[in-house]
Amino acid sequence: MSSTTTTGPDGSVGTDRGFFVYGVVLAEAGRVPDGLTGVEGSPVRAVARGPVAAVVGEIDVDRTTGRRADLVAYSKVLDELAGSGAVAPVQFGSVLLDEQSIDEELLAPNEQYFAELLAELDGRAQFNLRASYHEQVVLAEVVAADPEIRRLHELTRDLPEEASYADRVRLGELVARALEDKRVLEVEALLDSVLPLTAAYSLRTGAGVDHVLDVALLVDDDRRSDFEDHLEGLAEAVHERIALRLLGPVAPYDFVGGDVWV
Amino acid sequence: MTVQQSSQRRGGGGGYLQRPAPSGLADVIDIILDKGIVIDAYIRVSLVGIELLTIDARIVIASVDTYLRFAEATNRLDLVEQGGGKPLDEFIGDMQESGASKKVGGAVRGAKKAISGGSSDDDEERRPARKSSSRRRSED
Repeated sequence: MSSTTTTGPDGSVGTDRGFFVYGVVLAEAGRVPDGLTGVEGSPVRAVARGPVAAVVGEIDVDRTTGRRADLVAYSKVLDELAGSGAVAPVQFGSVLLDEQSIDEELLAPNEQYFAELLAELDGRAQFNLRASYHEQVVLAEVVAADPEIRRLHELTRDLPEEASYADRVRLGELVARALEDKRVLEVEALLDSVLPLTAAYSLRTGAGVDHVLDVALLVDDDRRSDFEDHLEGLAEAVHERIALRLLGPVAPYDFVGGDVWV
Repeated sequence: MTVQQSSQRRGGGGGYLQRPAPSGLADVIDIILDKGIVIDAYIRVSLVGIELLTIDARIVIASVDTYLRFAEATNRLDLVEQGGGKPLDEFIGDMQESGASKKVGGAVRGAKKAISGGSSDDDEERRPARKSSSRRRSED
């Protein structure tokens, strides 16, 4: 990648260096694989305190904007770590100045919290599930269900936009509300179906005509194949109206307690 | 836990579940943006541009623009009137059928209710009770 820094990937010389923090893991020998590199191609290593360790890599502190390659490097490091044990991701882009601040500001005040969090994440992985309507199908339902929507639809669809502005806004408003009413029911049914196979969930925001549900799910490793099989069946059952898309396993980005302790 | 890029498992289903490998930038951004432990960092490397684009796409605004977008989508609809697809009662028939044999009766019942019951009145923030933001079961 096209780094602007003058220092080599080993971080030996030159300008001010800081530590890009990827996440927190248990402090165990070999927890961070040899040869693992991250942002700027810089080697990744663990800085331990008690039972926990921050996973960090040196970067140029003068750099404040991230690029595509940085983002990909960050997620690769975390997925690699998640592949061999529990990891609590730290938000992308967090840089601490030196090892002392990693120890004193990050690890010392949160040692216990991190240890508990990692115990909770152990043996589990995150999946992101997204449900989207087939727009045409669900809009046809909405139009058929409400006489006022049907009337406005028939009234406005062949008129030029300027001639029907108010009616269009009204139509859009009614459709948006009808879809939201519908969505609430779909979400309830989908979650009822999926959550029994998960350890935790966290709803993500979404928008758009076709949006139904975007949720992060934490799944026990030993229930993963049941979970995946179940979702296959669910996807088949709803496929005429709703498409299901499953990403993962990924590192548990949505299950680290957010900013509770900043 | 085992994380690998594209675990293309074949479940019992006929491949209706989409399982993309999260390698595209859009997916990576979507997965990680604003997620993870927030620490009191010395500096924060930010993703200029990309970030704004993605956040913008997620904002839910009850604005005139949004309504016009919904109206436009609705008026692209030509299924029922112009015979461009199945007639609606056939959709409903299909849904009842699949609902009877599969595990998603709730979603189907919901759709049926919406179809036969007309629109209920506005509900700015109506949510299922347990749709609070996030839950960890083993919380103590």
